[in-house]
Amino acid sequence: MIQDIKETLKQHILKEFLPGEDPKELTDTTPLITGGILDSIATLQLVAFIEERYAFTFQAHEVDVKNLDTIAAITNFILSKKL
Amino acid sequence: MAKRFQIPAHVSRVVGFFRIAWPWSGMSSTTATAPASKASLAASDTAEVSAPGTAGQVRDLGTIAVVSIQLVLVLLVIHLFQLESRTFFHVMVLGTVGFVIHALLPLQYRLSFFTLLSLLAIPVALGLIDGIFLVVLGLLLIGVCHLPVRMAARVFLLLAIGALFAVWRMDLLPAPWSMAIWPILGAMFMFRLALYLYTLKHEEKRPTLAQTLAYFFMLPNVCFPLYPVIDYSTFIRTYYDRDAGRIYETGMRWIVRGLLHLLLYRFVYLHLAGDPIGLLTLGDLVQFLLATFLLYLRISGQFHLIAGVLHLYGFRLPETNHLYYLASSFTDFWRRINIYWKDFMMKLVYYPSYFRLRSWGGNAPLVAATVIVFLSTWLLHSYQWFWLRGGFRLEPQDALFWGVLGALVVVGSLREMKSPRKPRLGRGPAWSASLALRRLATFTAICILWSLWSADTVGSWLLMWMVAGNVAPGDLWLLAGLVLGGLLVAGRTWSVRETDDNTTRSFYRQPALQSTALLLGILVLGNPDLYARHSPQLATTVASLQRSTLNARDAALHHKGYYEKLDNNSRMSMQLWTKQAQKPAHWVGLPDTDAYRRRDDFLRGDLRPGAKIVFEDQPLSVNHQGMRDRDYPLAKPAGTYRIALLGPSHVMGSGVADGETFADFLEERLNRGDLGDNRHYEVLNFGVAGYSLLQQLALLEERAVTFQPDAVFITDSPGLKPPVVAHLLDVVSSRVAIPYPGLDALVRRTGVTALADPGFPVPFENVRALLGALGMETRMPWVEAVRRLPLSADSLVQWTLERIAAVTRGHGAVPVFVALDVVVDPPVKEVRALQDAEAAGFLVFNLFDLWQNRDRRALIIAEWDEHPNAAGSRLIAERLFELMQQHRSELRLDAAAPQLRTHSR
Repeated sequence: MIQDIKETLKQHILKEFLPGEDPKELTDTTPLITGGILDSIATLQLVAFIEERYAFTFQAHEVDVKNLDTIAAITNFILSKKL
Repeated sequence: MAKRFQIPAHVSRVVGFFRIAWPWSGMSSTTATAPASKASLAASDTAEVSAPGTAGQVRDLGTIAVVSIQLVLVLLVIHLFQLESRTFFHVMVLGTVGFVIHALLPLQYRLSFFTLLSLLAIPVALGLIDGIFLVVLGLLLIGVCHLPVRMAARVFLLLAIGALFAVWRMDLLPAPWSMAIWPILGAMFMFRLALYLYTLKHEEKRPTLAQTLAYFFMLPNVCFPLYPVIDYSTFIRTYYDRDAGRIYETGMRWIVRGLLHLLLYRFVYLHLAGDPIGLLTLGDLVQFLLATFLLYLRISGQFHLIAGVLHLYGFRLPETNHLYYLASSFTDFWRRINIYWKDFMMKLVYYPSYFRLRSWGGNAPLVAATVIVFLSTWLLHSYQWFWLRGGFRLEPQDALFWGVLGALVVVGSLREMKSPRKPRLGRGPAWSASLALRRLATFTAICILWSLWSADTVGSWLLMWMVAGNVAPGDLWLLAGLVLGGLLVAGRTWSVRETDDNTTRSFYRQPALQSTALLLGILVLGNPDLYARHSPQLATTVASLQRSTLNARDAALHHKGYYEKLDNNSRMSMQLWTKQAQKPAHWVGLPDTDAYRRRDDFLRGDLRPGAKIVFEDQPLSVNHQGMRDRDYPLAKPAGTYRIALLGPSHVMGSGVADGETFADFLEERLNRGDLGDNRHYEVLNFGVAGYSLLQQLALLEERAVTFQPDAVFITDSPGLKPPVVAHLLDVVSSRVAIPYPGLDALVRRTGVTALADPGFPVPFENVRALLGALGMETRMPWVEAVRRLPLSADSLVQWTLERIAAVTRGHGAVPVFVALDVVVDPPVKEVRALQDAEAAGFLVFNLFDLWQNRDRRALIIAEWDEHPNAAGSRLIAERLFELMQQHRSELRLDAAAPQLRTHSR
């Protein structure tokens, strides 16, 4: 399940925010927000994708670096919401 | 995992009290070998806590040694260039010593040590009493955050305390502390409290006492009222979350970058930034626009320094500013400049607004949230201004700046929603034309917007553009060069984001080596004697950067009392404000004292005969003839050589006691008999603070010549034009007749007499003419007159000098122009008035270089005021005496002297 989530997120991020980039460059620990890949708009777009895909709702305070900066962190956050 | 470092029992006992006292509610105490927090846990895998003798430990000691050496170099640079304040230097000394101890301590004790160091820095910077009060007031605020009541009640209590503090900030209530604590207390708490409460509300983990105190009182804050808004969660989350050596290296790199920004800022401030009123051509306008935006280098320099220092204590905070001059759009600009502020807004305003409104659907929530962010930013900047400077900044140009920038960011965001930007994981192409054009366009637009934000008024900003049509011969070349250079620089991919990976870097690109080389380079540059022979121009420029002085415009604002109508306290430059903020409230301008008499004629004001006051903490007495001097008979006694000395504040003797003006010392020196004659010398002090050259002329004609002077000494500083302009504007707007037909004609030619017309103020002559044709009464607005008259300032000064020389000669006296400034560097540019004075027939005594290579702190009346004190006045008198000796014949001192001294003082 964890691997599925990570793969889904990775594919979405590559398609929507990093088109044309080498998939190998995007790892589970690549910084997305602090690395400048996700700005505020992209972050909200990713949030909307996660909410729709995994059927839960974000609270405003949950949209932060701690939960969304890496694919690994996002996966952990999704799992904490789903479990 | 490496074996943990075991703390000896006696050390554990000594420091044990920290760890007993530190845990805040909800935290269990830890043992000597256990990490104190999650942050420590994250770092416990690093070499920092590994056993002595391991490879990691050896490397750390090496890094600590290198960083310590670099910090010593940093201290030398700060000292050599007098960067920021003396407080900053002292705090950096403390920070350097503290770094070594901190880095050598076991990890679990470091945060407590950092907290103690931060608390210690407060009295070092503010003094013991103010320091204690600041900490107590801060603890009160922190205590309220942790009261066992509902969050809403805590917020209400904090607001109530904030209101009380605001009353104190406005100086409406007496307080046992000085006003100096408010900017610092404000910087520590005005935004951090909100972030701290936000964390308390949303995070389950409770902060420890050490974390809380470290966050609010963090070390470099005490010398930086303008401080980045550091997020509490980030502050804690990034604490030693990577290898310590790498964190220190990054910190040093940012400190060095900060120093470079501050040095560049100083160059821009002293040599490029000018007075918008003095712009004459398109080239001047372009330079002004560029320099105004470049002045932000000071903020980014300070922020880099602050974040760098915090890195040295393990806080791996993100970048505060990222290549903001290379933004490729307005949204990009917003993301790059003051990143902490943007993150603060995202966290507390943007996301909460967006989530609250997202039921609207479509792009409306995004637009609304962005608008709310910019509205909040505008209001919060004013709130910040209040705590830092004591007044609100809610002026049209602020609203326009944030409104326009907000609108541009909204448009940019909507465009990005449709076609998202394409960030790159790796490096982009070496150079891109489209990127260059976008960056150059954004930079130009921000320069223009920034100039609006910095303008005194919207009207003055609009009128500033009048000179755009005056194209000087070199202007187009300048523009072409700037555009070409800009395109070359802007099209390049400069760097990717900060990375921790140094393994692939070549030796010469190692951060430690680069930082050290840069520091050594700055230190070499800071010794102009080394290269002055080969490159005198560079040596002079660098020497000018080695003092924290005001630029010409700020110096004029600071030292003269003439700028009241032009000055707008709320828009004072940071440099000037830093100076002004130190001035005690009772140090008011001369016109606000009983020693000043306002007049309705051309003179506008003079000293009140017989007045006795305390001015700038010194006794100031005015004689019955309106001079700061003893009484003199109108008729010159036989055998007396009389000098009528006229000039502004440094002639009157602002900040020195009666009998300690340079006029007093010169008279005393001349009467010692060293000139080899038996004359008696009298130096009549007609100086009045704030007097322009025109007022010196008026006073000369009205009073000074009636005392039969043998020589008339007119005194002025390099910035003599603005006072002349300001005086004439005052005269014209007050509808006072100009008693000199020649001068009157000059003023009429500029058109500023329309300032006194009846009717509504309407800018631009053509518009007024049009409205006049429609039967409406209009007049020139003040801001237009302020722009127009300076264009003729040189002619006005020239006319005044010629008139003074003619009047002086007409009364049989020798005209002398004394070029004398307060205790500051000599002017960088040539002062045209000196040539004009010579051409008019003045004997010119140039004392502009008097203060060079001297201990200026020993020669000024106060830290915040560079007027010469008694020692400085003696120096002036001594130099004047020497010059008088050298120019005996021109001063007619070689003429047969009387045989008897008829007077002694």
